[in-house]
Amino acid sequence: MIRLSPKLSQKLSYILLFMATILAIVPVLVIMFLIVKNGASAISWEFLTSMPKDGMRSGGILPAIVGTFAIVMCAVVITLPIGVCAAIYLNEYAKDNFLTRVIKLAIVNLAGIPSVVYGLFGLGIFVMFFKLGVSIIAGALTLSIMELPVIITTSRNALNSVPKSFREASLSLGVSRWQTIRHIVLPNALPGILTGTILSIARISGETAPILFTAAAFYVPHLPKSIFDQVMALPYHLYIISTQIPNMPKNIIYGTALVLMMMVLSISFVAIFARVYFRKHRKW
Amino acid sequence: MREYLDYIIETIVFICGMLSIVFVVLIFSFLLKEGLSFFKDFSFVKFITNQFWYPSSTPLSFGILSLICGSVLVTLGACLIAVPIGVMSALFIAEIAPKGVRDILKSLVELMTAIPSVVIGFVGMVTVVPLVKNIFNLPTGLSAFSGSIMLGFMAMPTIVTISEDAIRSIPWQYKEGALALGATKWQALRRIILKAAMPGIIAAIMLGIGRVIGETMAVMMITGNAAHVPHSIFDPIRTMTATIAAEMGETVRGGVHYKSLFAIGLVLFLITFVVNFVADLFLGKNKNL
Amino acid sequence: MVNKIEVKNLSCFYNKKCVLDSLSINVVKNEILSVIGPANSGKTTFLRTLNRMSDLDVSFSRMGEVFLDGENIFNVNMESLRRRVGMLFAMPIPLPMSVYDNIVYAPKRLGLINKKSDIDALVEQSLKDASLWNDVKDRLHTSAMKMSGGQQQRLCIARILAINPEVILFDEPCSGLDPVSTAKVEESMLELKQKYTIVLVTNNVKQASRVSDRTAFFLMGKLIEVDKTGELFVSPKEKQTEGYITGRFG
Repeated sequence: MIRLSPKLSQKLSYILLFMATILAIVPVLVIMFLIVKNGASAISWEFLTSMPKDGMRSGGILPAIVGTFAIVMCAVVITLPIGVCAAIYLNEYAKDNFLTRVIKLAIVNLAGIPSVVYGLFGLGIFVMFFKLGVSIIAGALTLSIMELPVIITTSRNALNSVPKSFREASLSLGVSRWQTIRHIVLPNALPGILTGTILSIARISGETAPILFTAAAFYVPHLPKSIFDQVMALPYHLYIISTQIPNMPKNIIYGTALVLMMMVLSISFVAIFARVYFRKHRKW
Repeated sequence: MREYLDYIIETIVFICGMLSIVFVVLIFSFLLKEGLSFFKDFSFVKFITNQFWYPSSTPLSFGILSLICGSVLVTLGACLIAVPIGVMSALFIAEIAPKGVRDILKSLVELMTAIPSVVIGFVGMVTVVPLVKNIFNLPTGLSAFSGSIMLGFMAMPTIVTISEDAIRSIPWQYKEGALALGATKWQALRRIILKAAMPGIIAAIMLGIGRVIGETMAVMMITGNAAHVPHSIFDPIRTMTATIAAEMGETVRGGVHYKSLFAIGLVLFLITFVVNFVADLFLGKNKNL
Repeated sequence: MVNKIEVKNLSCFYNKKCVLDSLSINVVKNEILSVIGPANSGKTTFLRTLNRMSDLDVSFSRMGEVFLDGENIFNVNMESLRRRVGMLFAMPIPLPMSVYDNIVYAPKRLGLINKKSDIDALVEQSLKDASLWNDVKDRLHTSAMKMSGGQQQRLCIARILAINPEVILFDEPCSGLDPVSTAKVEESMLELKQKYTIVLVTNNVKQASRVSDRTAFFLMGKLIEVDKTGELFVSPKEKQTEGYITGRFG
């Protein structure tokens, strides 16, 4: 058996690790490249702003864009206040006891439940039990529960990053606990909370399984009028046209995938830039 | 008045804090309720040991063994790809890459999480699937193998970021100690850092597994959806998640088939619950280091 | 000689570990009482118990009584107690807002003032009393985080004065400051005692001898000796006190 010198084996291992890193990064770049290359030609103003035609084989994807936007916005409006309040409880009020540990465990597990199980739950509770039907609101409620652990965790980190000394200084002046949170802690945690929220918007925009049976429709020839309407959603639309419709022109599929991907990526980038900006302009 | 307000607020945030528990319990009990009403008519043991899934033909047969096998096979395949590559890149990013490059590499790895799973499924369908078909000369490229490849890359960001955190959290004294004894940096990394970071890395792998088992859309689009016990990794398979997603639309609400899908959901819930619980235990261990 | 604060048999614990052992001491109205002693002697715990800041810590527990003007502080509302007993921390902690907003923050929250003209007057008066007005009168609306350490600490004093407390607690207020800034803070302390009762915890024995009327010596959670500052430094009754102030340990 040949024994390599430590120096040489270090060098070889480094090369191996480097190649592994490249391997971890390349697929995502390939995916993005493929979508952009094949989808760019399909993108036009008309594609973004008109209804689908000929059994979705031509025309645009406007209703799917609007539908996704409606579901996601409703979900955020529902989940943000609850998530932030839960984070305030955990970070500012909760004592280190059994109950707190159970809450934390619940959050961890909520984050791990498969998205399709959320879909089942949403179907059973919101669509059937509360009789909301397959609708924007049913889908939004389902997504909001799914996003709750993410919002709680990021908000909690944001609250936690506000120095403890600010709270002490405020409390020592006779200011009450809630006023301290409201006027000192929350304003300073807001950038972090916002960034986390934007990132979670990006994430749920691309989710399909939870809205599969709660909000998404195969084809709706008009835009939604209320939150109790069924809608088309971009990710579901992509699933449909890439698997269910024969003779679907490839460039429309790629175009739809490109729109969905750009939507998610651009929201994520907004969040990342916001984070960098706020870090630079932090007041303390 | 001020005290009163404080009391109200404290109550509100407490209730919001409790909601996480409420939702977990609600989801579990809901799945349990529907699942149990299914198990009244069909035995649980038969449900998970029978391999025939004929939910709408006569005679009816609800056995999810083939679906479990499908999920397990895809998950194993994905792990074989994601774990070695993921842990190695985590090591590289945490300890070897120059400081300036580190954040860029990390963000590039995380970029994968920003790609919706339908998009990944679609790309897999048009690239990996035909490639696998041609290379291995198969009747169809829609197989557990193709699924494993795509899912492996989907699990990558989870495994890399959490392992990287674990590796970085090892106190630098550990390394200094080894280096002071004349070990090369690589020896220190392999013998000491990797060992010390192991709980965190295991947690990362568990969370990656959780992600793969729960993945639905990509798996449904790439693996062929054939409900039978696979003989090799190149067979088409069908996972539990894909079964729920594909069949829920066609069921009669409240019917046996409908309930059987909730029973699958219950099994999935329990599996991911255990996986995440274990991951959390290991993560907790890492913190006490 | 009126007792402003009376401490009776106060014992404090962190995680059941005793850090302050059956302490009884009085603070006279309009005096500066300084508390000296080596690290971990319970000085800061004593101070933080006087305005119940220590009650915020979940691992903290206590026994005994503390009276402020004859009223047991553990029976009154925490916020109103802290309004009457202000506290200056070891490190200056300006809130992340402008100089002006730092001063008006607490009075606004407490509902002490409403009119704009009153607010301006309060800001000016508080800053003057903390001898900071001339330094900052032209940049009241710039961030307080940009000031020097000494200015920040005087701003924190001004912030306390704005809520017009009765007692001010100083927790090693000069540990992070240079000698010039320290002199300024000490100067303001001497002026403040005309109106307020002051308890000063310090690691700096010389500072205690410079500013205080009476000095208490704490060691390992026990009060060893308390006396007029002149007496205690010239002819301490206890061996341990002598050892500490002459620098033999601590």
